[in-house]
This record gives sequence, structure tokens and C-alpha cells, in this order.
Amino acid sequence: MDFSWSDQQRELLDAVDRFAKEQLAYDMIENDRHAVFNHDAWMKCAGFGIHGLLVSEEYGGLGQDPITTVAALERLGYGCKDNGLLFSINAHMWTAIIPLVYNGSEAQKKKFLPGLCDGSIIGGNAMSEPNSGSDAFSLATTAVKKGDKYILNGSKIFVTNGPIADVLLVFAVTDKSKGASGLSAFLVEKDSPGLDLTHKIEKMGVRTSPMGEVFFTDCEVPAENLLGKEGAGSWLFTRSMTWERGCILAASVGTMQRLFETCIRYANERKQGGQAIGKFQQVAGKIVDMKMRIENSRHMLYQCAWAAGHRKAIYLEAAMAKLQISESWVKCCEDAIQIHGGYGYMVEYEVERELRDAIGSKLYSGTSEIQRNIIASLIGL
Amino acid sequence: MKIVVPFKSVPDPYAGPGAAAKSVVNPFDEIAIEEALRIRERGEATEIVGVTIGPATVDEQIRSALAMGVDRALRIDDSRALDPYAVARILRALVAKEAPQLVLMGKQAVDDDSNQVGQMLAGLLGWPQATFISKIEFLENKTRAQCTRETDGGLEVIVVNLPAIVTTDLRLNEPRYVSLPGLMKARKKPIEVLTCEQLGVTVQPLTTTLSTARPPKRAAGTRVESVEELMVKLKQEAKVL
Ligand SMILES: Cc1cc2nc3c(=O)[nH]c(=O)nc-3n(C[C@H](O)[C@H](O)[C@H](O)COP(=O)(O)OP(=O)(O)OC[C@H]3O[C@@H](n4cnc5c(N)ncnc54)[C@H](O)[C@@H]3O)c2cc1C
Repeated sequence: MDFSWSDQQRELLDAVDRFAKEQLAYDMIENDRHAVFNHDAWMKCAGFGIHGLLVSEEYGGLGQDPITTVAALERLGYGCKDNGLLFSINAHMWTAIIPLVYNGSEAQKKKFLPGLCDGSIIGGNAMSEPNSGSDAFSLATTAVKKGDKYILNGSKIFVTNGPIADVLLVFAVTDKSKGASGLSAFLVEKDSPGLDLTHKIEKMGVRTSPMGEVFFTDCEVPAENLLGKEGAGSWLFTRSMTWERGCILAASVGTMQRLFETCIRYANERKQGGQAIGKFQQVAGKIVDMKMRIENSRHMLYQCAWAAGHRKAIYLEAAMAKLQISESWVKCCEDAIQIHGGYGYMVEYEVERELRDAIGSKLYSGTSEIQRNIIASLIGL
Repeated sequence: MKIVVPFKSVPDPYAGPGAAAKSVVNPFDEIAIEEALRIRERGEATEIVGVTIGPATVDEQIRSALAMGVDRALRIDDSRALDPYAVARILRALVAKEAPQLVLMGKQAVDDDSNQVGQMLAGLLGWPQATFISKIEFLENKTRAQCTRETDGGLEVIVVNLPAIVTTDLRLNEPRYVSLPGLMKARKKPIEVLTCEQLGVTVQPLTTTLSTARPPKRAAGTRVESVEELMVKLKQEAKVL
């Protein structure tokens, strides 16, 4: 594995740095308080090329490889404090675009990918249900074929981008008797009859990323919006979930790096007992641990993306990267608050928000417990 | 209409203290590039040619210009520190080669602040000039340009016959950022490299830099306890009262 950048990659990453610094450095305190999704920044990122990084040029993307893509997202996380916006972009990329890229028909790709890349179509993924979380395949939502349509009934919960989505990838039971092999995936467009996207959910962190409940009441979906084959839902979910696990936290590595630099500055500036607090071993130790966590996280992220780019199976790498980055992120944020003392706990210092934003990462795309289950099963336990 | 935009690579003026100074396109020239792009997007120009003088290391800034949307670029390979007159003479040869209807350029480069090249180039070519513009519009089937100039006394509106040299001020526009699709398209755009000999110009700098010096270090200030003490210091130490 060689993670040194080519001139072209470096040029691209420098452009991301500059873009994030100049275009995405807006004030976050009010947006977070009022849970404001920054649509303008969404469009800027799409226009800049973020959403379509991994999509081939014929569908409006940039055709970059996975490692360049995650490194670009990492830079974006470093320069942009709007973790909610980045989460929405990541959900869009890994849970809507990726399944389409890998499983979409030519017509589906032509119809959705250019808009998903240029930001005019917002995508999301609706798998979780009130009674189906970690046990993801125990779905209750049903889809019944009627003529050239499928009729969907049921509800989904925790749908990132749900309230603002133009298209959602929805998983539903088409044949209950077949268990996991009886699930199918549908591209449900926002104006489908019988679809209700209006129920917003308020959450602890990544508040600027809209989330909602979704209800299907005899919701009509054209048969051509079936993604992949009927019954391929669980296979398709597992495949895209692997990408999601491996890559969805790329930006968080950059976020941690920014937090780490903030902590170093603060530890050098803040004086107690006549010296900079960074000279206290216990403070320095926290920052050293932060550095270790960040480097490990980045390495696992790159290793996973590198393997994906070389068409290797990444089940283990993805679960390890997800677990490593999410737990590091939360711990870095806790330590950052501790290093900042009382100030770190106050909204104005913008460290407490980072912790609230980080905590969800141990839940979505499979909880930490589920990642450990996966890793355990893959190492022979 | 063809527009030539000369631009210079300068150390990033926005780099913080202590940061390694990266080179960027001179901000005033970036404004000129942006204006040329807007003129093309309005359908009033067909081609934008970026030109710069420097060694191969400035190719990075050339690619930024191409990524913004400049159609093609020319680099005169010369690594000497040239003064404004030498630059203007090289640009005159380039203008003769490209025959544009408009040369749009920054009013000055932020590294040496000379503010002379545009004016000298106009003089050498015998073309009209509109300097420090904050607005440009084309008249009479693009045979003339109406330019608003920012002067100390206020705004001055002048009309110049084309071809002309136009130099840009800060408030003309806000340059777009380089997007990744732009960057990737730029990789396919041609950069033509020429030497002064190939252009048929020999330039010798007319000025020599004898020395450069940092501004003197300012001594740290002192705190005074009272207005009385301040008055005493102003009178006796600073001797300004
Ligand atoms: C910010 C955020 C965004 C989200 N976005 C989306 C989205 O866009 N689309 C979507 O479909 N879903 C989304 N989710 C839902 C997310 O995928 C689920 O919350 C997650 O899979 C866990 O399911 P659950 O909440 O039902 O918890 P449960 O499955 O009920 O888990 C509760 C607890 O039990 C543990 N547990 C459960 N099963 C096991 C087991 N087998 N072994 C050990 N421990 C176990 C869990 O780890 C957890 O600690 C999002 C969640 C969050 C927080």
C-alpha cells in the first residue's frame, strides 16, 4: 500500500482545502440551535464536485477512485464545521448514489445520477423501522406488485435527508416466506402518491442534517423503480452498507484533525499555575492519545478505500474503519472538552457541539456493537 | 471577440504569518479572468487566452486559470525578475501574435505593487486604455467599451475604442472558486510554452534591485498607569506634544 499522492491528487486535495476554507466557513451556532439545513452550501459542494466524486464522468461525476474520494471528504471535514451538512452529503453519496452506481439499470442511472451529482436531486436511504434496527432484515414494510406498479405500505424511521429528499432508496418485503431473500429495494420519488415525508425528527447532534419518519399508505412506485432484482434487497443492502461503513466517516477524520489542532493551540495559550496547560503531563497525554487515534483512524480509512479501489473484499476493513473512527471521534471530542475546561462545555466555544455531532456515529451504519459482531465473526469467533 | 488576460503568479497574500507562502494567481488578475469569463458567458467573447511569464513552476497557477475557465494558456519561459517595462514589451509581442480585441488585466500585482504594465502596454501598442475599472460594457457591436473607473474623486465613465487595454480594480467582481470539474477539464487544455527569442523580443531589465530590507522591528509598547503619566511620556519621551 502506497498512500503518497500523485501531483493530480495533490492538486485536487489542495482545491478542496481552499474551497472549504473560503466557501464553507460560515457561523454554525445559530444553524445548529435552529437545526437549519444549509441548502446553499449543499449546492456549492455539489457544484464544486463533491457529490459526484466517485461517479463516472458519463453520469455527471468526476470518476475518482475511492482513496481520492475519502481524502477529499477528509479535507472537507477539516475545513467545514457543519458536520450535519457533511453527514447529509455522506448519506447521499454512500446510501443513495453508491447503490445506484452498482445496481442501477442504465435508465435508472441516466435518470437519477446526473441530478444526484449536481445537487438538484437529494437522496437518502430508508431501511430502519420502528421494530427493525440492528436486526436490519426484520422489516415490516411491504411491497406488492400490481400491474406495472408496486404498492408500498408501512413506515420507516431515522431517515437522514428524509424531509428534504427527492428520491429515497426504500427497502421492503416482497416475499415474506423467503426471509432475507424476500426483500427488495425501490427508488421512491418524493411525489409518489401515498408517500408522506413531512414528519421531522429532532435530534441531539448533526442537527443541521434533516431527519424524518416516512410513511407509506398504498404508496405507488412504478415497477421500473425497482433497484436490482426482486428479492435482491438484502444483498444490495449489505453491499452498499459495506461502502457506507468504510467511507461515511471520512470527513470525521478531518474534523478530528481540526479539533486536535484547536486543542494544541488552546493548551499552549491557556495558562494555569504559571504555565501553559499543555505542559501538564495529563493534558499533553490526552492530546498525544488524540494524535494516535487520528493517525490510526486515517490509516484504517485509507486502507479500506485502497482495498475497495483494488476491488478487494472490504467487509473486515470497513467494519474496523467504522468502529475505529466513530469511537475515536467521540473520545477526541470528550477529551477536547476536558482540555478546554469549563469553556469547552459552553456553546460559544464550539467544542460541545462537536461531541453532540460525533455520538451518532456509534449508532448509524451499524452500532459499535454490531461492528464488533461483524469483526468477531470475520476473525473466526 | 478574443480576450487576452495576462496574469502573474504571486505569493499568496492571504497566507497567515509563518505559513509556507504558496503561489497564487495575482488577485487583481483573478478579477480580470473572472470578468473575461463573464463576458464570454454573456456571449460577447468567444475565446479567452491566458498569458503569463515565468518558469515551469508557475504552471500550477496557469492550471488554476484554466480551471476557472480560461480556454488556453501561453507561458513565456523566463525565470528572471523582470521589471514592468520588460513585461510590457513581452506582452506587446504576445498581443501582436494573438491579435485580441481586448486585453484585460489586473491594475497591479500585489507582490511589487508597480501598477505600470497595463499603461506601458497601451503606450507600446498605441491602444486606448481604461484603468482601475469597476464596470465594463460593450457598445456599438463591440467596437467600443464603456468603462467605469474608480478615481479618487469618484466614478468616471469613459468610452474606449477597441482593441484596448483594460485594467481591473477590486470591486469589479468576485472571482469564482476553482471547482473539481474545472480542474479536471483544465488538465486537458493546452499550455503553449514560448521563449522570448521565439517571440522575437530581447528584454533587459532596466532596473536593478540593490537591496531589500525588512521594516524595522517595532519595540514593544509600555502600559501607563494614568493619564498624567501618559502626558508626561508624550511630552518628554515621544516628544510629540
Ligand atoms: C444520526 C443517525 C442517522 C441515521 N440515518 C439513517 C438512515 O438514513 N436510514 C436508516 O435506515 N437508518 C438510519 N439510522 C438508524 C440506524 O441505522 C439505527 O439507529 C441503528 O441501526 C440501530 O438500530 P436501533 O436504533 O433500532 O437500535 P437497536 O437495534 O434496538 O439497538 C439497541 C442497542 O442494542 C444493541 N444491539 C442490538 N442488536 C445487537 C446484537 N445482535 N448484538 C449486540 N448488541 C446489539 C445495539 O448495539 C444498541 O446498543 C440513523 C441513526 C442515527 C443515530
